[in-house]
Amino acid sequence: MFNQIRRNSLRVVLALSLLAVLLAAAPHGARADQPDLTLTLAAYSVPRAAYAELIPLFTKQWLDKTGQKLTFQQSFAGSGAQARAVVGGLDADVVALSLETDVNAIVKAGLISHDWQKGDYKGFVTDSIVALAVRKDNPKHIKDWIDLAQHPLEVITPDPTTSGGAQWNILAAYGAARRGFVTGYDKSDDGGLKFLTELFKNLTVLDKDGQSSYLTFQKGIGDVAINYENVILSAIAAGDEIEIVYPTSTILIENPVAVVDTVVDKHGTRAAAEAFVNFLFTPDAQRIFVKYDFRPVETTVAADKLLATQFPTFTDLFKIDEFGGWDKVSKEIFGKDGKVTALLNTVKGQ
Amino acid sequence: MATQISAAVNSTVTTRSGIKPGLRIPQHPPTTARWGVLGLRFAALSYLAACVLIPLLIISIAGLREGLDVFVQNITRPAAIHAIGLSLWTAGLMTALNTVMGALTAWILVRFRFPGKMLLNALVDLPFAIPTLVAGVMLVLLLGPQTALGGLFEHTFGVRLLFAPPGIVLALLFVSYPLVVRTVQPALHQLDSDQMEAAYTLGGSGWYTFRRVVFPAIRPALLTGALLSFARALGEFGAVVIVAGNIPMRSQLASVYIYGQVEAGDLGAASGVSVVLLFIAFALTFWVDWRERRRHA
Amino acid sequence: MREVRPRLPIHYLLIGIVAIYAIALVGIPTAAIIGGALNKGIAALVMAVTAPDVIHAFEVTVLLAVGAGAFNLVAGLLLAWVLVRHEFRGKQLLIALVDAPFVISPVIIGAVLIIVFGRGGWLSIPNVPIAFALPGMMIAVIIVTMPFVAREVMPVLAALGPEQEEGAFTLGAGRWYTFRRIVLPELRIALLYGLALTFSRALGEFGAVIVVGGAIQGLTETATVYIFRALDDRNTVGAYGAAIILAGLSVILLNVIERLNRRRLSRHTATSGAASE
Repeated sequence: MFNQIRRNSLRVVLALSLLAVLLAAAPHGARADQPDLTLTLAAYSVPRAAYAELIPLFTKQWLDKTGQKLTFQQSFAGSGAQARAVVGGLDADVVALSLETDVNAIVKAGLISHDWQKGDYKGFVTDSIVALAVRKDNPKHIKDWIDLAQHPLEVITPDPTTSGGAQWNILAAYGAARRGFVTGYDKSDDGGLKFLTELFKNLTVLDKDGQSSYLTFQKGIGDVAINYENVILSAIAAGDEIEIVYPTSTILIENPVAVVDTVVDKHGTRAAAEAFVNFLFTPDAQRIFVKYDFRPVETTVAADKLLATQFPTFTDLFKIDEFGGWDKVSKEIFGKDGKVTALLNTVKGQ
Repeated sequence: MATQISAAVNSTVTTRSGIKPGLRIPQHPPTTARWGVLGLRFAALSYLAACVLIPLLIISIAGLREGLDVFVQNITRPAAIHAIGLSLWTAGLMTALNTVMGALTAWILVRFRFPGKMLLNALVDLPFAIPTLVAGVMLVLLLGPQTALGGLFEHTFGVRLLFAPPGIVLALLFVSYPLVVRTVQPALHQLDSDQMEAAYTLGGSGWYTFRRVVFPAIRPALLTGALLSFARALGEFGAVVIVAGNIPMRSQLASVYIYGQVEAGDLGAASGVSVVLLFIAFALTFWVDWRERRRHA
Repeated sequence: MREVRPRLPIHYLLIGIVAIYAIALVGIPTAAIIGGALNKGIAALVMAVTAPDVIHAFEVTVLLAVGAGAFNLVAGLLLAWVLVRHEFRGKQLLIALVDAPFVISPVIIGAVLIIVFGRGGWLSIPNVPIAFALPGMMIAVIIVTMPFVAREVMPVLAALGPEQEEGAFTLGAGRWYTFRRIVLPELRIALLYGLALTFSRALGEFGAVIVVGGAIQGLTETATVYIFRALDDRNTVGAYGAAIILAGLSVILLNVIERLNRRRLSRHTATSGAASE
C-alpha cells in the first residue's frame, strides 16, 4: 500500500508538472514575435479603467493602419513607487504618471532624453482636481476645507511618500489655506502650515496609492476622503453611497505621459509608443477620459459646453505654480527635509 | 526545529561508537571521493548562502550604509518602534492562543473517535492550502466594517475588528492554525495509552495525567510549534496587508511598514526594521534551544 | 495512542470547543468567500475566471511553483545531506539559518533582488531582464520556499544514521549506488512532503513577487497579484473566483500531504517500536 500511495503522489506531481509545462509552452498573446509587438505601460493607479478602454481602441486603430498586432502589458501602482520601479529596471515603453516630478525622476535617471514637455499640452494628458468624498447625506456636514480641521474626524488620504495623489491632496489643502480660503487661518504660508497641522491630526489610514485609498474609504473607514475628482465621480457612478463635495479653492491636477527613450530604442517600439502617446491626445481618446471623469485637455473637447455640468468650475482654482513648480515642491515640501514631510513626521511619528 | 534536528544528529554520532567487532569501517573516504565531498559541501552551502546569507548581508548593508547613527535613527522612529511592538504583541498573543487551541485540537484528533472528524481534519489543513492573501480577503469579506458581523462589533461593543489589532490577531490565528496542531500530533501519537491510563488511575485526575505524562511528552513539539508560529507571524505579509489597515502608530505591522518603506524608496528604514525582526526571531530561537539543551544535559 | 470514544462530559466539551473554534475560524470564512464568488451567479464566475489575464496569471503561478519545487527538491536534499552527514564548524548556526526565510519578510527578499538584479545592480545582465521579469520572480519564490524540503529531510536523514550507508560502502557499493538504492527510498516520503509544502507556499506567494515583478499585467502578474488587483478593480467575482481556484489547487496537493502524513505518523510509531528493541 505504501507503494500505491507513493505512486499516486508521484503521479499527481508528474501530472502537475506536465500541466505547467504545457501551459507555459502553449502559445499566448504576450509573446512579442515579429512582426507583432509588445508595449509596456507603467501608470499610476487611478486611470486603470480608462486605459482598459483606451488600449483596445488604440490597438485596433494601429492594426488597421499598419497591420501590426500590438499587445499591451500594463502595470498600475502609486505614481512615486511606479517611477522608482521604472528607474529600478521596470522596462516601460510609456509612462503615464500623476506627477510631473515622477516623470522628471525618470529623466534624471537618464531614461528619457527628449523634451517630453514640448508640445501644445506640455505633456499633460488629463486634468483633474482635488475634491472631497463624504458619506451619503453628509452626516458630518462637510462643506469645505475648514470642516476637515474639526476634531474628532477621520480623514482618508494616501501616503505622500508613494502616492502622487496624496501630494496633490496636501497641496490643495495647503494652497487653499495659504490663499486665504480657509477661515480662521492666515492668508500666508504659516497659516497654510497651521491648517495642515490640524488636518494631519485627523489622518487615519495612509494607503499606498489613490485607488487603494478610495477603496479603504469605501470599506467604511473614515468620515471624509480627499481624492481625485474622477475617482469620486466614478465611484458615485458605480453606485457607491457617497457624495462629492467641492471645496471653494482647490488645485488643478495635471497628469503627464511620456515615452521612455532607452526602453523604446532597446525594444524597437518607438513608432508604436509615440503613436500611442499621440493617440491619447486625440478627441476620441479624450472623450474616453471624460467618460471616466477626467477633465480633458484637448481644446475642442474641453470647450464642449456639456462638460460644464459634469465638471463644475471653482471660485478659486490654482496650479502648481502657486508653490513655484514641482521641482521646488519636491524638494522643499515633500523632500526628505521638506516642510510637509517634517510636519507629517511630527504629527504622525513617521 | 533546530533542537530536534541536533538531538537526532547527536544521537547518530553516539551510535557510531557502537560498531560491531570484526568489521573494519574505513576511517577516511578515499582521496578520489574527497573532492566529491568538498564539491557537494560547496554546492549546498552556496545554495544556503545565496538564499539566506546574501539577502541578510544585503539587508544589513542597506540598513547600515549610511552609518550606524542613521540606522539607529531609522529603527527608533516612533512609527517603526510602534510597528515592531505591534508585530511582537499580536504575534505573541496569537502564539499563546494558537498553542493552546492547537494542542487541544491535536489532542482530540488523536484521542477521540467522533463523527465529523474528517471534516475537522480538513478544516485544520485548509489554512495551509489557502494562500495567505486569500485568508485576508476572506476575513475582510466576513468582518469588514460594512458587514453585518463587523458592524455589530463596532456599534455594540465599540470594537473595530478589522483594520485594527483584533483583526490582525484573527488573520494570524487563521494562517497559523495547522502549525501547532500538525507538530504536536506526531508526538501525541507516540504516547503510550497504557502509561497514560496508569497515571490517570494513580493520580486520579485528568489534569495530573496531563501534567505528568502528556505535557512532558509533547513539550518539545509544543515549543517547536509555538516558535514556528511566532517567527512566521512576524514575517507574515499577505494575510495582514489587506486586513491590517496601515495606520501608522495604530495598526501598522512591521511587515506592512517595511513594504511601505520599500515602496517609498527608503530601503534603509525597511532594512533596519527587518534586521530588528530577524534578530528578535533568531534570539528567541537560540534562547529556547539553549534552554532545552540545558534541560536535556 | 489508542483512539477511544468520548465518554465523559469533559470529553464532549473539549470536542465541542475545538469544533466551534475550527468552524468559526476556518469554516465560515471559507464558506463566505465561496458565497462571494457565486454572488453574481455561476455564469458570471466562469466568465470572470476564464478571462485571458486570469489564465495568464495562473500560468505564471504554476510555472513559478513547479520551477521552485523542482529546484528546491534537488537543492534542499543536497543541503539536508551536507548539514546532517558532514561535520564542520558552525554547522549548528547554518542549521538554524535554514529557517531564516520564514522570518524575513518576503517583501524584503523582493527588494533585495531588485537591488542585485535591477538596473545598475551588480548581477544585472544587460538585455536579460531578471528584475521585473519572470527569472527574478522564480529566484524570489525559490528563496522563499527554500526551507521546506530541507527541514523535512533533515530529521529523517539524521534518524536514519549512516550505518546502512557505511555498511553498503564496506560491501563495495559505490557512493551513488548507495545513495540511490539505500538512502533515497527512505527519504521519499519526506521529499514528497517537502515538495508539496513547497508547492503550497509557492502558489500563495505574494509579497516577494509583487515587489520584484512590478505587477505587470500580462507578464509578471501571478494569481495572488491578480486577486489583489481584482479587488482594487472592484471585480469581486473575479477576485474571489481566482482565490477559490488557487485554494483548490492547493487543496489537491494537501490531500497528498495528508495521505503522506498519515503514512509518516504510522512510520514513526513503527520506527520507534523498532528502536525500543
